[in-house]
Amino acid sequence: MLQSSNSFARLLAELQKLPGVGEKTALRLAFHLLKYPENTAALAESLGEVLSRVKFCSICFGITEEDPCRLCSSDRDETSLCVVEEPQDLLAVERTRAFRGRYHVLQGALSPLNGVTPDRLRIAELMRRLEGGAVREVVIATNFSVEGETTALYLARQIKPLGIRVTRLAHGIPLGSDLEYVDAATVQRALEGRSEL
Amino acid sequence: MFVTKIQISSFRNIAAAEIRFNRRFNVLHGANGQGKTSVLEAIYLLGTMKSFRLAKTPDLVTWNTPHALLRGWAERDGVGREIALYLGKEGRKARVDQKPVTRLADFFGNVNAVVFSPEEIAMARSGPDLRRRYLDRAIFSGDLGYLLLHHEYHRLLKQRNALLKRGSREGLDIWTNQLAEAGTRLMVKRMGYLAEIEPLVRRFYREIAGGEEEAGLAFRPHLTAPDQVAREGTDALLALFGAHEAEELRRGTTVVGPHRDDVDFVLNGRVIRTHGSQGQQRSFVLALKMAEIEYLERLNGAPPVLLLDDISSELDPQRNANLMAFLREKRMQVFITTTDVSTLRLEGIATHASFHVSRGTVTPS
Repeated sequence: MLQSSNSFARLLAELQKLPGVGEKTALRLAFHLLKYPENTAALAESLGEVLSRVKFCSICFGITEEDPCRLCSSDRDETSLCVVEEPQDLLAVERTRAFRGRYHVLQGALSPLNGVTPDRLRIAELMRRLEGGAVREVVIATNFSVEGETTALYLARQIKPLGIRVTRLAHGIPLGSDLEYVDAATVQRALEGRSEL
Repeated sequence: MFVTKIQISSFRNIAAAEIRFNRRFNVLHGANGQGKTSVLEAIYLLGTMKSFRLAKTPDLVTWNTPHALLRGWAERDGVGREIALYLGKEGRKARVDQKPVTRLADFFGNVNAVVFSPEEIAMARSGPDLRRRYLDRAIFSGDLGYLLLHHEYHRLLKQRNALLKRGSREGLDIWTNQLAEAGTRLMVKRMGYLAEIEPLVRRFYREIAGGEEEAGLAFRPHLTAPDQVAREGTDALLALFGAHEAEELRRGTTVVGPHRDDVDFVLNGRVIRTHGSQGQQRSFVLALKMAEIEYLERLNGAPPVLLLDDISSELDPQRNANLMAFLREKRMQVFITTTDVSTLRLEGIATHASFHVSRGTVTPS
């Protein structure tokens, strides 16, 4: 049955390309889509819409429908710039409402294993923005992975000669967590990075 | 710490077995190739998720069966734990008290096991790899942060190697910096551990071998020296990487660094790899294991379990007797495999259980 249905097989194959979706999940999703044709039509329409409308902002490289994006064309603080790896990281920082400056999305982190060298990231664009002279502090909010840390150091080295302050998010024990439930390795790192009260 | 019971299914050549262990001595006897060591390996896997034989998952699963399942009941400070480990196509999955465990760090410590086997003795005469692997394993059985650091160093190493393979200098200094920093922390932890167990090794070596020979552990960081690392910190490694950069770019890989560190086993200032007799090498590794047991006991408040694989064949009668004396004194659980029960000096050991292992079947005897 499945083999004879070409379009169905193609749907399965396309679904399996999505992160976290394997053979079984793809089958479940595909049957679900067939079962609720109205939802599926809406989904198809929205996929097309996203493709045609959503693009990367030409200034910060976050996702947007109008260029430049709402954040870049707002009157937010121009002296402070937060650098993140992916658009979803921008949303994570923005959700806090604790940061009133602007953003720059690198669209990844350095990873020679995956062929990601500095020229594959939006670093040249970042440096051009900084040369504008308005930015006085760059807040680096890349992930706390080996790759994210290395990217942060790379950026710091590029930016510091411009006389701009470079800061990094703090890391350690998650807020509101009981120390006893935090894994030993994290506590150990937090202990090493302890600060004066 | 005790392992009170274990259930094994489709593991190596053991189709199914349920074994209730004695809290002191457990002797597994039988001819070679019957599955004795597999029982020890199962216990070790329940403690670390890894095999001391360095086997990959497919090697552990009985031929033509989909997966292996190990279940162990362990007790520590009066608290019982049920540990289950699934080994199959989807990898290794663990449960502790029926609850899935996702992080290796949460799994460690339920069963601490120290192994002494003929393969382990080989590290006294082999190249640096076995000794370094042993050192790393010994450190992270007592320090989970070390495991994380070890992963981090090797991740950085892979990334830097990928960059070197492309022959690219772009961003290379940053990866080098990161590697030097993680590498230095790694070396400092290695030095710390060795400093802690060296006096113990010295003491136990005298107890096993008798005589006045002085045992020592000399850390040999690759192409640098311990005092240089202590004095200069990260700069020592940075200088090393700097001096080899051209060669590394040419060869497309990181040729120097802590992933090539070594530790010399020393008797009276002479390295036993090249200058020691077989008897000295065996005694040294045994002393090292006893030191590890003592160290873990101090750290955890309870000794680990000890897995002795076919050891009486490796030690002469006097050393065997000294080992047994040590084991009698330590209130720890011991698992011993042997082809010949008569070689074990079990006199004076009142409580023990023995099992006969034949073609993957384990029966109390």
